[in-house]
Amino acid sequence: MDNVDTGIGRVKENLSLSLSRIRRWPEFGVILAFSTIFMVFSLLAPKFVTLRNLTGVFTIVSELGIITIGVAFLMIAGEFDLSVSSVYALSGFLFVTLANSFNSLLALIITLVAAACIGFLNGTITLRAGIPSFITTLGTMMFLRGIMLAVTGGRSVVYNGDLIVPTMLTRFIGRGFRPSHIWFLALALFFSLILTRTRYGNWVFATGGKKEVARAMGVNVNRVKVVNFMISSVMAGLAGCIVINRFGVANASFGMGMELEAIASAVIGGTFLMGGYGTIIGAFFGAFLMGMMRTGLVMVGAPAYWYQAFVGAILVIAATINIKLRRLEM
Amino acid sequence: MQQDLPLVRMVNINKRFGAVEALNNVSIEVRQKEVLGLLGDNGAGKSTLIKILAGVFPPDGGEIYFNEEPLKFSCPKEARARGIETVHQELSLVDMMTISRNFFLGREPTKGIGSIALLDKKKMDKECRRVIAEIGIRVRSPNEYVSILSGGERQAISIGRAMYFGAKLLILDEPMNALSVKETRIVIGHIEKARKLGTSIIFITHNVYHVYPVADRFVILDKGLKIGEFDKKEVETKDIIEMIARGKV
Repeated sequence: MDNVDTGIGRVKENLSLSLSRIRRWPEFGVILAFSTIFMVFSLLAPKFVTLRNLTGVFTIVSELGIITIGVAFLMIAGEFDLSVSSVYALSGFLFVTLANSFNSLLALIITLVAAACIGFLNGTITLRAGIPSFITTLGTMMFLRGIMLAVTGGRSVVYNGDLIVPTMLTRFIGRGFRPSHIWFLALALFFSLILTRTRYGNWVFATGGKKEVARAMGVNVNRVKVVNFMISSVMAGLAGCIVINRFGVANASFGMGMELEAIASAVIGGTFLMGGYGTIIGAFFGAFLMGMMRTGLVMVGAPAYWYQAFVGAILVIAATINIKLRRLEM
Repeated sequence: MQQDLPLVRMVNINKRFGAVEALNNVSIEVRQKEVLGLLGDNGAGKSTLIKILAGVFPPDGGEIYFNEEPLKFSCPKEARARGIETVHQELSLVDMMTISRNFFLGREPTKGIGSIALLDKKKMDKECRRVIAEIGIRVRSPNEYVSILSGGERQAISIGRAMYFGAKLLILDEPMNALSVKETRIVIGHIEKARKLGTSIIFITHNVYHVYPVADRFVILDKGLKIGEFDKKEVETKDIIEMIARGKV
Protein backbone atom coordinates (compact mmCIF):
# COMPACT_ATOMS: atom_id res chain seq x y z
CA MET A 1 0.00 0.00 0.00
CA ASP A 2 2.79 2.33 1.01
CA ASN A 3 4.72 1.41 -2.09
CA VAL A 4 1.81 2.24 -4.32
CA ASP A 5 1.35 5.56 -2.58
CA THR A 6 4.94 6.66 -2.96
CA GLY A 7 4.93 5.39 -6.52
CA ILE A 8 1.97 7.54 -7.38
CA GLY A 9 3.49 10.36 -5.38
CA ARG A 10 6.68 10.16 -7.36
CA VAL A 11 4.83 10.12 -10.67
CA LYS A 12 2.84 13.14 -9.57
CA GLU A 13 6.00 14.90 -8.49
CA ASN A 14 7.71 14.19 -11.80
CA LEU A 15 4.66 15.32 -13.67
CA SER A 16 4.37 18.59 -11.83
CA LEU A 17 8.11 19.14 -12.20
CA SER A 18 8.02 18.71 -15.95
CA LEU A 19 4.85 20.77 -16.09
CA SER A 20 6.53 23.60 -14.26
CA ARG A 21 9.46 23.30 -16.62
CA ILE A 22 7.24 23.54 -19.69
CA ARG A 23 5.33 26.39 -18.10
CA ARG A 24 8.55 28.35 -17.93
CA TRP A 25 8.91 28.40 -21.69
CA PRO A 26 8.17 31.94 -22.70
CA GLU A 27 6.13 30.60 -25.63
CA PHE A 28 3.98 28.27 -23.53
CA GLY A 29 0.93 30.53 -23.38
CA VAL A 30 0.72 31.29 -27.06
CA ILE A 31 1.39 27.73 -28.17
CA LEU A 32 -1.38 26.52 -25.85
CA ALA A 33 -3.80 29.12 -27.24
CA PHE A 34 -2.73 28.31 -30.79
CA SER A 35 -3.28 24.58 -30.35
CA THR A 36 -6.65 25.04 -28.66
CA ILE A 37 -8.01 27.32 -31.36
CA PHE A 38 -6.54 25.13 -34.08
CA MET A 39 -8.36 22.12 -32.63
CA VAL A 40 -11.63 23.99 -32.26
CA PHE A 41 -11.56 25.08 -35.90
CA SER A 42 -10.60 21.58 -37.05
CA LEU A 43 -13.60 20.13 -35.27
CA LEU A 44 -16.08 22.78 -36.37
CA ALA A 45 -14.98 23.24 -39.97
CA PRO A 46 -14.13 20.03 -41.83
CA LYS A 47 -12.29 21.87 -44.56
CA PHE A 48 -10.07 23.76 -42.14
CA VAL A 49 -7.37 21.09 -41.98
CA THR A 50 -6.72 20.83 -45.67
CA LEU A 51 -3.44 21.66 -47.29
CA ARG A 52 -5.16 24.20 -49.49
CA ASN A 53 -6.66 26.09 -46.60
CA LEU A 54 -3.59 25.89 -44.40
CA THR A 55 -1.26 27.21 -47.08
CA GLY A 56 -3.77 29.99 -47.68
CA VAL A 57 -3.61 30.85 -43.99
CA PHE A 58 0.16 30.67 -44.15
CA THR A 59 0.20 33.25 -46.95
CA ILE A 60 -1.73 35.83 -44.93
CA VAL A 61 0.20 34.97 -41.78
CA SER A 62 3.55 35.42 -43.49
CA GLU A 63 2.74 38.99 -44.45
CA LEU A 64 1.50 39.95 -41.00
CA GLY A 65 4.15 37.81 -39.31
CA ILE A 66 7.13 39.46 -40.97
CA ILE A 67 5.87 42.81 -39.69
CA THR A 68 5.28 41.27 -36.27
CA ILE A 69 8.85 40.00 -36.00
CA GLY A 70 10.21 43.52 -36.52
CA VAL A 71 7.66 45.08 -34.19
CA ALA A 72 8.36 42.54 -31.44
CA PHE A 73 12.12 42.95 -31.79
CA LEU A 74 11.71 46.70 -31.33
CA MET A 75 9.21 46.34 -28.48
CA ILE A 76 11.68 44.18 -26.56
CA ALA A 77 14.14 47.08 -26.83
CA GLY A 78 11.45 49.25 -25.22
CA GLU A 79 10.04 51.17 -28.18
CA PHE A 80 6.91 51.13 -30.34
CA ASP A 81 6.50 51.39 -34.08
CA LEU A 82 3.01 52.35 -35.21
CA SER A 83 4.25 53.49 -38.60
CA VAL A 84 4.72 49.93 -39.90
CA SER A 85 1.32 49.90 -41.59
CA SER A 86 2.11 53.06 -43.55
CA VAL A 87 5.61 51.86 -44.37
CA TYR A 88 4.01 48.64 -45.59
CA ALA A 89 1.70 50.48 -47.97
CA LEU A 90 4.32 53.03 -49.04
CA SER A 91 6.87 50.32 -49.78
CA GLY A 92 4.43 48.47 -51.98
CA PHE A 93 3.72 51.63 -53.84
CA LEU A 94 7.33 52.61 -54.22
CA PHE A 95 8.25 49.12 -55.35
CA VAL A 96 5.57 48.97 -58.06
CA THR A 97 6.39 52.43 -59.32
CA LEU A 98 10.11 51.68 -59.54
CA ALA A 99 9.75 48.13 -60.85
CA ASN A 100 7.47 49.34 -63.65
CA SER A 101 10.32 51.38 -65.07
CA PHE A 102 13.47 49.57 -63.85
CA ASN A 103 14.59 46.10 -62.86
CA SER A 104 12.42 44.69 -60.06
CA LEU A 105 15.36 43.53 -57.93
CA LEU A 106 16.79 47.03 -57.98
CA ALA A 107 13.33 48.34 -57.09
CA LEU A 108 13.17 45.98 -54.11
CA ILE A 109 16.58 47.06 -52.84
CA ILE A 110 15.79 50.76 -53.18
CA THR A 111 12.45 50.21 -51.43
CA LEU A 112 14.04 48.44 -48.49
CA VAL A 113 16.70 51.13 -48.18
CA ALA A 114 13.96 53.76 -48.16
CA ALA A 115 12.17 51.82 -45.44
CA ALA A 116 15.39 51.68 -43.43
CA CYS A 117 15.67 55.47 -43.75
CA ILE A 118 12.16 55.89 -42.34
CA GLY A 119 13.14 53.65 -39.42
CA PHE A 120 16.29 55.66 -38.90
CA LEU A 121 14.21 58.85 -38.83
CA ASN A 122 11.73 57.34 -36.37
CA GLY A 123 14.55 56.34 -34.05
CA THR A 124 16.54 59.54 -34.34
CA ILE A 125 13.54 61.80 -33.82
CA THR A 126 12.41 59.74 -30.82
CA LEU A 127 15.81 59.90 -29.15
CA ARG A 128 16.77 63.45 -30.08
CA ALA A 129 13.43 65.05 -29.29
CA GLY A 130 12.96 62.89 -26.23
CA ILE A 131 9.33 62.11 -27.06
CA PRO A 132 7.79 58.65 -26.68
CA SER A 133 8.11 56.52 -29.80
CA PHE A 134 4.38 55.93 -29.61
CA ILE A 135 3.94 59.59 -30.56
CA THR A 136 6.78 59.79 -33.09
CA THR A 137 5.59 56.77 -35.02
CA LEU A 138 1.92 57.74 -34.73
CA GLY A 139 3.04 60.94 -36.42
CA THR A 140 4.99 59.20 -39.18
CA MET A 141 2.13 56.75 -39.65
CA MET A 142 -0.34 59.56 -40.31
CA PHE A 143 2.14 61.67 -42.25
CA LEU A 144 3.15 58.91 -44.66
CA ARG A 145 -0.41 57.69 -45.17
CA GLY A 146 -1.60 61.22 -45.81
CA ILE A 147 1.15 61.93 -48.35
CA MET A 148 0.43 58.69 -50.13
CA LEU A 149 -3.30 59.33 -50.39
CA ALA A 150 -2.70 62.91 -51.52
CA VAL A 151 -0.18 61.96 -54.19
CA THR A 152 -2.08 59.01 -55.62
CA GLY A 153 -5.55 60.42 -55.14
CA GLY A 154 -6.59 56.92 -54.08
CA ARG A 155 -5.86 55.42 -57.50
CA SER A 156 -4.22 51.99 -57.68
CA VAL A 157 -1.07 51.24 -59.63
CA VAL A 158 -0.84 47.95 -61.51
CA TYR A 159 2.39 45.98 -61.53
CA ASN A 160 3.81 45.30 -64.98
CA GLY A 161 7.47 44.78 -64.23
CA ASP A 162 9.60 41.66 -64.62
CA LEU A 163 9.22 38.34 -62.80
CA ILE A 164 12.42 38.33 -60.71
CA VAL A 165 11.05 39.66 -57.45
CA PRO A 166 7.59 38.09 -57.80
CA THR A 167 9.33 34.73 -58.14
CA MET A 168 11.56 35.44 -55.16
CA LEU A 169 8.66 36.48 -52.95
CA THR A 170 5.26 35.11 -53.86
CA ARG A 171 4.84 32.94 -56.95
CA PHE A 172 3.60 29.44 -56.09
CA ILE A 173 6.30 26.85 -55.66
CA GLY A 174 3.96 23.87 -55.54
CA ARG A 175 1.14 22.50 -53.40
CA GLY A 176 0.00 25.98 -52.47
CA PHE A 177 3.27 27.01 -50.87
CA ARG A 178 4.89 30.31 -51.68
CA PRO A 179 8.41 31.68 -51.14
CA SER A 180 6.95 34.17 -48.65
CA HIS A 181 6.27 31.25 -46.29
CA ILE A 182 9.94 30.39 -46.36
CA TRP A 183 10.93 34.02 -45.88
CA PHE A 184 8.70 34.23 -42.82
CA LEU A 185 10.09 31.03 -41.29
CA ALA A 186 13.68 31.93 -42.07
CA LEU A 187 13.36 35.47 -40.71
CA ALA A 188 11.68 34.21 -37.53
CA LEU A 189 14.50 31.75 -36.94
CA PHE A 190 17.15 34.31 -37.82
CA PHE A 191 15.85 36.99 -35.45
CA SER A 192 15.18 34.44 -32.76
CA LEU A 193 18.82 33.41 -33.01
CA ILE A 194 19.98 37.03 -32.91
CA LEU A 195 17.84 37.74 -29.86
CA THR A 196 18.68 34.71 -27.78
CA ARG A 197 22.14 33.69 -28.88
CA THR A 198 24.13 36.80 -29.74
CA ARG A 199 25.64 39.70 -27.82
CA TYR A 200 23.38 42.07 -29.69
CA GLY A 201 20.34 40.17 -28.45
CA ASN A 202 21.54 40.51 -24.89
CA TRP A 203 21.90 44.27 -25.44
CA VAL A 204 18.35 44.44 -26.83
CA PHE A 205 16.95 42.82 -23.68
CA ALA A 206 19.02 45.08 -21.43
CA THR A 207 18.08 48.22 -23.37
CA GLY A 208 14.40 47.44 -22.99
CA GLY A 209 14.72 46.10 -19.46
CA LYS A 210 16.55 49.02 -17.88
CA LYS A 211 18.44 51.29 -20.19
CA GLU A 212 20.41 53.06 -17.45
CA VAL A 213 21.95 49.74 -16.39
CA ALA A 214 22.66 48.80 -19.99
CA ARG A 215 24.38 52.15 -20.51
CA ALA A 216 26.40 51.81 -17.32
CA MET A 217 27.56 48.39 -18.49
CA GLY A 218 28.86 49.87 -21.73
CA VAL A 219 25.96 49.11 -24.08
CA ASN A 220 25.28 51.81 -26.66
CA VAL A 221 21.54 51.89 -26.01
CA ASN A 222 20.76 54.62 -28.53
CA ARG A 223 22.39 52.67 -31.30
CA VAL A 224 20.49 49.53 -30.32
CA LYS A 225 17.23 51.44 -30.46
CA VAL A 226 17.89 53.11 -33.82
CA VAL A 227 18.99 49.81 -35.36
CA ASN A 228 15.82 48.13 -34.10
CA PHE A 229 13.67 50.94 -35.50
CA MET A 230 15.36 50.34 -38.84
CA ILE A 231 14.78 46.59 -38.63
CA SER A 232 11.12 47.15 -37.85
CA SER A 233 10.73 49.43 -40.85
CA VAL A 234 12.62 47.17 -43.24
CA MET A 235 10.51 44.18 -42.21
CA ALA A 236 7.35 46.19 -42.81
CA GLY A 237 8.76 47.25 -46.17
CA LEU A 238 9.47 43.66 -47.12
CA ALA A 239 5.97 42.59 -46.10
CA GLY A 240 4.57 45.42 -48.22
CA CYS A 241 6.55 44.24 -51.25
CA ILE A 242 5.32 40.69 -50.68
CA VAL A 243 1.65 41.63 -50.58
CA ILE A 244 1.97 43.85 -53.64
CA ASN A 245 3.62 41.04 -55.57
CA ARG A 246 0.80 38.71 -54.62
CA PHE A 247 -1.95 41.10 -55.71
CA GLY A 248 -0.13 42.75 -58.59
CA VAL A 249 -1.68 46.04 -57.53
CA ALA A 250 -0.64 48.76 -55.08
CA ASN A 251 -3.08 51.05 -53.33
CA ALA A 252 -2.52 53.78 -50.78
CA SER A 253 -5.10 52.33 -48.41
CA PHE A 254 -3.36 48.95 -47.99
CA GLY A 255 -2.60 47.72 -44.51
CA MET A 256 -4.60 50.20 -42.45
CA GLY A 257 -4.81 49.03 -38.86
CA MET A 258 -2.12 46.44 -39.41
CA GLU A 259 0.20 48.13 -36.90
CA LEU A 260 -2.21 47.20 -34.12
CA GLU A 261 -2.58 43.66 -35.41
CA ALA A 262 1.20 43.31 -35.34
CA ILE A 263 1.45 44.70 -31.81
CA ALA A 264 -1.43 42.44 -30.72
CA SER A 265 0.34 39.43 -32.24
CA ALA A 266 3.55 40.29 -30.43
CA VAL A 267 1.71 40.70 -27.12
CA ILE A 268 -0.22 37.46 -27.60
CA GLY A 269 3.17 35.89 -28.26
CA GLY A 270 4.42 36.97 -24.84
CA THR A 271 6.26 40.23 -25.57
CA PHE A 272 5.99 42.83 -22.81
CA LEU A 273 4.41 46.08 -23.90
CA MET A 274 6.95 48.03 -21.88
CA GLY A 275 9.94 46.13 -23.23
CA GLY A 276 12.66 43.99 -21.73
CA TYR A 277 11.01 40.68 -22.38
CA GLY A 278 9.67 38.72 -25.32
CA THR A 279 10.41 36.07 -27.89
CA ILE A 280 10.38 35.94 -31.66
CA ILE A 281 9.04 32.38 -31.71
CA GLY A 282 6.17 33.65 -29.57
CA ALA A 283 5.55 36.47 -32.04
CA PHE A 284 5.59 33.88 -34.82
CA PHE A 285 2.79 31.91 -33.16
CA GLY A 286 0.98 35.10 -32.23
CA ALA A 287 0.83 36.12 -35.88
CA PHE A 288 -0.25 32.61 -36.81
CA LEU A 289 -3.05 32.72 -34.31
CA MET A 290 -4.32 35.99 -35.76
CA GLY A 291 -4.24 34.74 -39.35
CA MET A 292 -5.85 31.46 -38.39
CA MET A 293 -8.69 33.28 -36.64
CA ARG A 294 -9.43 35.27 -39.74
CA THR A 295 -9.98 32.31 -42.06
CA GLY A 296 -11.18 29.92 -39.36
CA LEU A 297 -14.07 32.10 -38.31
CA VAL A 298 -15.20 32.53 -41.89
CA MET A 299 -15.03 28.77 -42.40
CA VAL A 300 -17.14 27.96 -39.38
CA GLY A 301 -19.70 30.33 -40.79
CA ALA A 302 -19.29 33.34 -38.49
CA PRO A 303 -19.73 36.76 -40.13
CA ALA A 304 -16.38 38.41 -40.84
CA TYR A 305 -17.02 41.09 -38.23
CA TRP A 306 -16.60 38.55 -35.45
CA TYR A 307 -12.93 38.42 -36.26
CA GLN A 308 -12.17 41.69 -34.47
CA ALA A 309 -14.27 40.78 -31.47
CA PHE A 310 -12.51 37.45 -31.06
CA VAL A 311 -9.07 38.94 -31.54
CA GLY A 312 -9.86 41.52 -28.87
CA ALA A 313 -10.94 38.85 -26.41
CA ILE A 314 -7.95 36.63 -27.14
CA LEU A 315 -5.57 39.56 -26.80
CA VAL A 316 -6.76 40.27 -23.28
CA ILE A 317 -6.86 36.61 -22.26
CA ALA A 318 -3.42 35.88 -23.68
CA ALA A 319 -1.85 38.95 -22.09
CA THR A 320 -3.32 37.94 -18.73
CA ILE A 321 -2.05 34.37 -19.00
CA ASN A 322 1.38 35.57 -20.09
CA ILE A 323 1.78 37.95 -17.19
CA LYS A 324 0.66 35.27 -14.73
CA LEU A 325 3.17 32.82 -16.15
CA ARG A 326 5.98 35.34 -15.90
CA ARG A 327 5.13 36.15 -12.30
CA LEU A 328 5.88 32.53 -11.47
CA GLU A 329 9.54 33.09 -12.17
CA MET A 330 10.14 36.83 -11.96
CA MET B 1 58.19 48.48 -3.85
CA GLN B 2 54.95 49.32 -5.62
CA GLN B 3 53.27 48.90 -2.28
CA ASP B 4 53.76 52.51 -1.20
CA LEU B 5 52.63 54.07 -4.44
CA PRO B 6 48.96 55.00 -4.44
CA LEU B 7 46.74 53.15 -6.92
CA VAL B 8 44.83 56.27 -7.86
CA ARG B 9 45.61 59.95 -7.49
CA MET B 10 43.09 62.58 -8.45
CA VAL B 11 44.75 65.98 -8.35
CA ASN B 12 42.98 69.36 -8.22
CA ILE B 13 39.81 68.12 -9.88
CA ASN B 14 37.34 70.83 -10.92
CA LYS B 15 33.86 70.35 -12.29
CA ARG B 16 31.12 72.81 -12.98
CA PHE B 17 27.50 72.21 -13.99
CA GLY B 18 26.26 75.57 -15.22
CA ALA B 19 26.39 77.92 -12.27
CA VAL B 20 27.02 75.13 -9.76
CA GLU B 21 30.58 74.42 -8.77
CA ALA B 22 30.31 70.69 -8.13
CA LEU B 23 34.00 70.16 -7.37
CA ASN B 24 36.53 72.78 -6.39
CA ASN B 25 40.18 71.66 -6.52
CA VAL B 26 39.52 68.32 -4.90
CA SER B 27 42.48 65.95 -4.56
CA ILE B 28 42.20 62.42 -3.24
CA GLU B 29 44.32 59.33 -3.37
CA VAL B 30 43.48 55.70 -2.96
CA ARG B 31 46.26 53.45 -1.71
CA GLN B 32 46.83 49.84 -2.62
CA LYS B 33 44.41 47.44 -0.93
CA GLU B 34 42.67 50.02 1.17
CA VAL B 35 39.06 50.86 1.71
CA LEU B 36 38.54 54.59 1.42
CA GLY B 37 35.30 55.93 2.82
CA LEU B 38 34.15 58.91 0.76
CA LEU B 39 31.67 60.77 2.93
CA GLY B 40 29.56 63.86 2.65
CA ASP B 41 25.99 65.09 2.76
CA ASN B 42 23.73 65.05 -0.30
CA GLY B 43 25.14 67.38 -2.95
CA ALA B 44 28.66 67.34 -1.52
CA GLY B 45 30.15 66.19 -4.83
CA LYS B 46 30.87 62.55 -3.98
CA SER B 47 29.04 61.12 -6.96
CA THR B 48 30.48 63.71 -9.35
CA LEU B 49 33.99 62.82 -8.22
CA ILE B 50 33.61 59.10 -8.77
CA LYS B 51 31.74 59.55 -12.02
CA ILE B 52 34.76 61.39 -13.32
CA LEU B 53 36.94 58.54 -12.16
CA ALA B 54 34.64 55.98 -13.79
CA GLY B 55 34.68 57.85 -17.10
CA VAL B 56 31.04 58.95 -17.09
CA PHE B 57 32.10 62.54 -17.82
CA PRO B 58 35.45 64.35 -18.02
CA PRO B 59 36.66 66.87 -15.41
CA ASP B 60 36.92 70.56 -16.34
CA GLY B 61 40.38 70.65 -14.83
CA GLY B 62 42.83 68.49 -12.93
CA GLU B 63 44.71 65.26 -13.44
CA ILE B 64 44.08 61.62 -12.71
CA TYR B 65 46.84 59.06 -12.28
CA PHE B 66 46.25 55.32 -12.17
CA ASN B 67 49.36 53.48 -11.00
CA GLU B 68 51.14 56.79 -11.65
CA GLU B 69 50.06 56.74 -15.30
CA PRO B 70 48.04 59.76 -16.42
CA LEU B 71 44.48 58.84 -17.43
CA LYS B 72 42.11 60.38 -19.91
CA PHE B 73 38.82 58.50 -20.02
CA SER B 74 36.08 59.22 -22.46
CA CYS B 75 33.72 56.41 -21.53
CA PRO B 76 32.95 53.92 -18.78
CA LYS B 77 34.02 51.08 -21.04
CA GLU B 78 37.63 52.31 -21.09
CA ALA B 79 37.64 52.77 -17.35
CA ARG B 80 36.47 49.22 -16.93
CA ALA B 81 39.14 47.96 -19.30
CA ARG B 82 41.70 49.46 -16.91
CA GLY B 83 40.12 47.69 -13.96
CA ILE B 84 37.93 50.43 -12.53
CA GLU B 85 34.55 48.88 -11.76
CA THR B 86 31.56 50.70 -10.31
CA VAL B 87 28.68 49.19 -8.37
CA HIS B 88 25.77 51.64 -8.25
CA GLN B 89 23.01 51.50 -5.74
CA GLU B 90 20.26 50.58 -8.17
CA LEU B 91 21.91 50.59 -11.53
CA SER B 92 23.81 47.36 -11.75
CA LEU B 93 21.38 44.65 -12.77
CA VAL B 94 18.39 44.32 -15.09
CA ASP B 95 15.47 42.65 -13.28
CA MET B 96 13.93 41.03 -16.31
CA MET B 97 17.12 39.25 -17.33
CA THR B 98 18.69 36.12 -15.92
CA ILE B 99 21.63 36.28 -13.54
CA SER B 100 24.05 34.90 -16.08
CA ARG B 101 22.91 37.29 -18.82
CA ASN B 102 23.33 40.18 -16.38
CA PHE B 103 26.66 38.94 -15.21
CA PHE B 104 28.19 39.18 -18.65
CA LEU B 105 26.21 42.17 -19.94
CA GLY B 106 28.42 44.21 -22.23
CA ARG B 107 31.22 41.63 -21.96
CA GLU B 108 29.55 38.53 -23.28
CA PRO B 109 31.88 35.68 -24.23
CA THR B 110 31.27 34.33 -27.73
CA LYS B 111 32.31 31.40 -29.79
CA GLY B 112 32.36 31.47 -33.54
CA ILE B 113 30.23 29.18 -35.67
CA GLY B 114 31.29 29.96 -39.18
CA SER B 115 31.45 33.70 -39.42
CA ILE B 116 28.79 34.44 -36.78
CA ALA B 117 29.74 34.89 -33.16
CA LEU B 118 27.23 33.24 -30.86
CA LEU B 119 27.02 33.64 -27.11
CA ASP B 120 29.06 31.03 -25.30
CA LYS B 121 26.18 30.10 -23.02
CA LYS B 122 27.91 27.11 -21.54
CA LYS B 123 30.80 29.25 -20.40
CA MET B 124 28.46 32.00 -19.16
CA ASP B 125 26.47 29.57 -17.03
CA LYS B 126 29.50 27.72 -15.75
CA GLU B 127 31.47 30.79 -14.71
CA CYS B 128 28.41 32.48 -13.27
CA ARG B 129 27.46 29.38 -11.30
CA ARG B 130 30.98 29.25 -9.87
CA VAL B 131 30.90 32.91 -8.77
CA ILE B 132 27.43 32.52 -7.25
CA ALA B 133 28.68 29.54 -5.26
CA GLU B 134 31.72 31.48 -4.07
CA ILE B 135 29.54 34.37 -2.98
CA GLY B 136 27.25 31.94 -1.23
CA ILE B 137 23.92 32.87 -2.75
CA ARG B 138 21.38 30.09 -2.83
CA VAL B 139 19.68 30.05 -6.22
CA ARG B 140 18.83 27.01 -8.26
CA SER B 141 20.63 28.14 -11.36
CA PRO B 142 22.30 31.11 -13.03
CA ASN B 143 19.27 31.15 -15.30
CA GLU B 144 17.01 32.44 -12.57
CA TYR B 145 15.76 35.97 -13.06
CA VAL B 146 17.39 38.76 -11.07
CA SER B 147 13.96 39.95 -9.95
CA ILE B 148 13.76 37.09 -7.44
CA LEU B 149 16.94 38.21 -5.66
CA SER B 150 17.04 40.36 -2.56
CA GLY B 151 18.84 43.71 -2.48
CA GLY B 152 21.81 42.20 -0.68
CA GLU B 153 22.10 39.34 -3.14
CA ARG B 154 22.06 41.81 -6.01
CA GLN B 155 24.89 43.83 -4.48
CA ALA B 156 26.83 40.65 -3.78
CA ILE B 157 26.48 39.59 -7.41
CA SER B 158 27.52 43.04 -8.64
CA ILE B 159 30.61 42.94 -6.44
CA GLY B 160 31.31 39.35 -7.49
CA ARG B 161 31.03 40.39 -11.12
CA ALA B 162 33.46 43.28 -10.66
CA MET B 163 35.94 40.93 -9.00
CA TYR B 164 35.49 38.30 -11.71
CA PHE B 165 36.45 40.86 -14.34
CA GLY B 166 39.60 41.71 -12.45
CA ALA B 167 38.72 44.96 -10.71
CA LYS B 168 41.76 46.77 -9.36
CA LEU B 169 39.63 49.58 -8.03
CA LEU B 170 36.08 48.93 -6.91
CA ILE B 171 33.82 51.94 -6.56
CA LEU B 172 30.76 51.29 -4.40
CA ASP B 173 28.18 54.02 -4.73
CA GLU B 174 25.84 53.91 -1.72
CA PRO B 175 25.81 50.11 -1.82
CA MET B 176 23.72 49.62 1.30
CA ASN B 177 21.01 52.22 1.07
CA ALA B 178 18.16 49.82 0.53
CA LEU B 179 19.46 46.90 2.58
CA SER B 180 18.33 45.31 5.80
CA VAL B 181 20.69 45.15 8.77
CA LYS B 182 21.49 41.50 8.13
CA GLU B 183 22.17 42.08 4.47
CA THR B 184 24.36 45.06 5.25
CA ARG B 185 26.56 42.79 7.31
CA ILE B 186 26.78 40.24 4.51
CA VAL B 187 27.77 42.91 1.99
CA ILE B 188 30.45 44.16 4.38
CA GLY B 189 31.81 40.60 4.34
CA HIS B 190 32.02 40.71 0.56
CA ILE B 191 33.83 44.04 0.65
CA GLU B 192 36.40 42.67 3.08
CA LYS B 193 36.90 39.63 0.91
CA ALA B 194 37.48 41.84 -2.12
CA ARG B 195 40.11 43.82 -0.22
CA LYS B 196 41.88 40.61 0.82
CA LEU B 197 42.09 39.67 -2.85
CA GLY B 198 44.08 42.86 -3.41
CA THR B 199 41.46 45.30 -4.64
CA SER B 200 41.31 48.91 -3.53
CA ILE B 201 37.86 50.18 -2.73
CA ILE B 202 36.16 53.57 -2.68
CA PHE B 203 33.03 53.37 -0.61
CA ILE B 204 30.65 56.30 -1.04
CA THR B 205 27.95 56.99 1.47
CA HIS B 206 26.41 59.64 3.67
CA ASN B 207 25.86 57.10 6.40
CA VAL B 208 29.05 56.73 8.42
CA TYR B 209 27.79 53.60 10.17
CA HIS B 210 27.79 51.76 6.85
CA VAL B 211 31.40 52.51 6.07
CA TYR B 212 33.10 52.81 9.45
CA PRO B 213 33.45 49.05 10.09
CA VAL B 214 35.36 48.42 6.86
CA ALA B 215 37.17 51.64 6.02
CA ASP B 216 40.87 52.36 6.59
CA ARG B 217 40.65 56.05 5.83
CA PHE B 218 37.98 58.68 5.29
CA VAL B 219 37.70 61.67 2.99
CA ILE B 220 34.94 64.14 3.76
CA LEU B 221 33.49 66.42 1.11
CA ASP B 222 31.19 69.37 1.56
CA LYS B 223 29.75 71.57 -1.22
CA GLY B 224 32.45 70.55 -3.67
CA LEU B 225 35.36 71.05 -1.26
CA LYS B 226 37.44 68.48 0.53
CA ILE B 227 37.14 69.44 4.18
CA GLY B 228 38.99 66.59 5.82
CA GLU B 229 41.02 63.43 5.44
CA PHE B 230 41.62 61.05 8.33
CA ASP B 231 42.99 57.66 9.25
CA LYS B 232 40.53 55.52 11.08
CA LYS B 233 42.46 55.72 14.36
CA GLU B 234 42.25 59.50 14.37
CA VAL B 235 38.45 59.75 14.36
CA GLU B 236 35.31 58.17 15.72
CA THR B 237 31.94 57.89 14.07
CA LYS B 238 30.48 60.78 16.05
CA ASP B 239 33.30 63.10 14.96
CA ILE B 240 32.62 62.30 11.34
CA ILE B 241 28.88 62.82 11.71
CA GLU B 242 29.57 66.18 13.28
CA MET B 243 31.88 67.17 10.43
CA ILE B 244 29.35 66.15 7.77
CA ALA B 245 26.54 67.98 9.54
CA ARG B 246 28.45 71.20 10.15
CA GLY B 247 30.36 71.17 6.88
CA LYS B 248 33.68 71.91 8.58
CA VAL B 249 36.35 70.22 10.70
